[in-house]
Amino acid sequence: MDLIIKGKGRAVKMAIVTLLGRGHLLIEDVPGVGKTTLAFTLARATNCSFQRVQFTSDLLPTDIIGVSIYNPENREFEFKPGPVFANIVLADEINRTNPKTQSALLQAMNERRVSVERKTYTLPEPFMVIATQNPIEYQGTFPLPESQLDRFMMHIKLGYPTPEYEKQAVLEQSSFELLEHLEPVITGEEILRMQKEVDNVRVDESLLDYLMAIITETRRNDRVRLGASTRGAQFLLKAAKANAYYEGRDYVVPDDIKEPAPLVLGHRIILKARTYISDAERVVEEILEKIPVPV
Amino acid sequence: MPPLYKAMTAVLAFTGCISLFISGALNPFMFIAGIGLIPGYYRLWKGMPHASKWTIGGLSIAALFFSIFDALVITGDVFIAVAHLTIVFHAIKSFDLKEPWDHLQVYFMSLLQLIIASELTRSIAFGVVFVLFLVALVTAMVLSHFLKEGTLQRVRFKRPVVVISLITLLATTLFFISAPRIKGGLLGRSLTKGIKTVGFSERVDFGSFGNVKLDPTIVMRVELSGRAEWPFYWRGLTLNYFDGKSWQDTLEDKYEIQKKGEQFLLRPFPRDKAIIQRIFLEPIESEVIFGLNNVTAVEIESRTLLVDDAGALFIPRKSSMRMSYTVYSIFEEQVAEGDLLRYLQLSPDAGRISRLAEDITKGIRTDTEKAVGIEDYLKTNYKYSLITSSPPEGVSPIENFLFNSKKGYCEHYATSMVFMLRAVGIPARIVTGFVGGEENKYGGYIIVRQSNAHSWVEAVIDGRWKRFDPTPPVASVEMPSLLAMYLDTLRLKWYRYVIGFSSIDQMRLIEFIYMPFVRMPQMPEVKVHGIEPALYIIIFVAITVLVVFIIKRLGHKRYDFVTANYLKLRGALENRGAMITASSTPSDVAREAMRLGIDGKAAEFIRLYEEARFGGKKMDKEDMEMYRHLLREMTKTSE
Repeated sequence: MDLIIKGKGRAVKMAIVTLLGRGHLLIEDVPGVGKTTLAFTLARATNCSFQRVQFTSDLLPTDIIGVSIYNPENREFEFKPGPVFANIVLADEINRTNPKTQSALLQAMNERRVSVERKTYTLPEPFMVIATQNPIEYQGTFPLPESQLDRFMMHIKLGYPTPEYEKQAVLEQSSFELLEHLEPVITGEEILRMQKEVDNVRVDESLLDYLMAIITETRRNDRVRLGASTRGAQFLLKAAKANAYYEGRDYVVPDDIKEPAPLVLGHRIILKARTYISDAERVVEEILEKIPVPV
Repeated sequence: MPPLYKAMTAVLAFTGCISLFISGALNPFMFIAGIGLIPGYYRLWKGMPHASKWTIGGLSIAALFFSIFDALVITGDVFIAVAHLTIVFHAIKSFDLKEPWDHLQVYFMSLLQLIIASELTRSIAFGVVFVLFLVALVTAMVLSHFLKEGTLQRVRFKRPVVVISLITLLATTLFFISAPRIKGGLLGRSLTKGIKTVGFSERVDFGSFGNVKLDPTIVMRVELSGRAEWPFYWRGLTLNYFDGKSWQDTLEDKYEIQKKGEQFLLRPFPRDKAIIQRIFLEPIESEVIFGLNNVTAVEIESRTLLVDDAGALFIPRKSSMRMSYTVYSIFEEQVAEGDLLRYLQLSPDAGRISRLAEDITKGIRTDTEKAVGIEDYLKTNYKYSLITSSPPEGVSPIENFLFNSKKGYCEHYATSMVFMLRAVGIPARIVTGFVGGEENKYGGYIIVRQSNAHSWVEAVIDGRWKRFDPTPPVASVEMPSLLAMYLDTLRLKWYRYVIGFSSIDQMRLIEFIYMPFVRMPQMPEVKVHGIEPALYIIIFVAITVLVVFIIKRLGHKRYDFVTANYLKLRGALENRGAMITASSTPSDVAREAMRLGIDGKAAEFIRLYEEARFGGKKMDKEDMEMYRHLLREMTKTSE
């Protein structure tokens, strides 16, 4: 994957960690730095079904979830699944659509099933939503409310690649062509198995205390207006376990908590000063420097 | 909550309650409340649900009201009522131990109980309970510290517990030795009552000795040095006037003896011939103190010593006071001085007795022979018995003994002899005290019991008071077992060195410590009172600082093998200028090691550490060796 998304090893790792931890990913960055490519690569490499939804202001919930259409042949309503019925769903520029449509997707993310006309349809497993949003384009956007931001396990930024990688990327062929040739390295079933194994990763009692100390501190810090939620703590634990698994361990070490913590918690806390998520991430990093690591 | 933590709380609660129960001052019904602790702690142990807040609150308020009622009506004693209340609170609290804070309350309550108990009892069992309490308290505090820190599962707390317990015991001992002596107890009260003795009050009812002759209660213990004659007659009081029912001392004048230094000197005496008796007297309900015949000097921690002209010694004191003192006696009979007429008072029914005395002494010239004759007569012709019938109407008990029943005990014999001597013109008096005692070979001292209480006769022969004992010898009581002897030795040591540790002892200890340094023919006078309270505060602060320092030092050592070595690496790297803070993760440490030029060993070391510490895998021997080896390698490079 590093071949396709150059110089973004950490972002890729975090994307995989999110997948392993059964979470959803929110990527925030300016257009054209590889958000879509990252999502698509993940889908290709895992041999999963992939759907991309370009969120526009006139998008309706049914455009995502699907719709029941009357079938004249057998005189029944037939459910036509929407793009959400895929293993990996790329919700591009999620903050461009109206809140109604946003919440339709977010509900699906949370419950991993959709209800249409009193019938419940389970979404395929593994299921992961990768949403992107552009921070600069404020016009015509509906920023996600905190409650919905909370449903993403991680919030990452890609940022511009370093000059040398950028030069390479400009010179070489389009990544999409490379993608076409990308052979799947893993199957969906294997991902499911790995996700189960992640659940069994051992967490020492003292590390749980360490994690909770971080969460508590986000609530206590005097620069923070609203601290991390309990779901935030759950996601941080999942991310830590997935991170440990990614590193080939069956137990969590302090780094597994410390590394993803800013990405897991950054978008969940609200600072007193009106600022960006990146500022919040910095506050989380400061908090991490304060909390003693168990020895 | 770890089981050991629960267990310690239970131990503390029970020791607190037991310390109160052994004092024996509580209402026996409180035992039921004490038993209430058992289900409470059983539930805690089994992790059963706690009682509801309302139940606990309601019961506590009820207990409080009951306690007020208890203080005012039932026991009529606030002090005891508080002691009762603590037991009830313990029982209630045992059903409501949720937070560490609740456990802390239990510790506090137990501490309060121990303080109360220390005022109620002086028994050696309390000492044992106290040490147990101290150790349990230290353990509980150490555990709760680790529990708060969340490191309880991983630390080795045996060593901190043992070391802190020892330090605490040591500090307590030091403080005990050096603290100023407070008279009358910390709370200004003492509920221990003196032993009811007979024969040592100003009026001694005839026949009262019979009641104590079978009582094995220990009255005093004596360490004896010097040549003394067996059996020992521990002199108490002398009595001269008998009204047919009770003996009295008609001469109530007592003289105060001036204290010179540590000693009350009654008269000069040759030191090398003195029989020195160090006496530990149990609390008795009398002001008399005892010693062998002809006391010449007394060392005692008291301001006043009173003496009557018959040589009886008195220390004005509370009956609850246990005393230790040293008496110097010389083997020499007292000179009969002053008015001897009052020793010639005759019995109200003198007629028959006088005739008998004259019959016995017929043809005997000297007073000595007369007295011995009477003594022998009584010894041989009468039977010793504690069971006496009351005399018929109009007959005095003496007459009844001499002419009717012909059996009785020391009082009958002694009283008869006194009146027979007086009948033949020899001044005589009754002496009350103790005779004999059993030797404790372990402790090298003599135990004197209530059953040793005795009365005998002193008569003026050739200008000196001579002792006669007309009571026939009685088969001695069964010897106590060796174990009982051994336990009693322990008890004596307890009274001597703990309960009775006095300011004189402090002074001696200071002298003992100074001795090697001050080589002077005469010891300079060490002023104990000169030691300012400030000095005690300094000593106390010094001890506290020492304890804190050692606890801090222990804090670094309390981790298990894995963590301890990891911390060693961190320390070594920090010394080399690595940027390691509390929030550094193990891999940060590895990176810093790498930055400082310590090659790949750090990564392997950290991997082993993380695996053992967070991975829940036990290091095997090989890993441990490797771990240690890597650390050695790295710290070597860092030197």
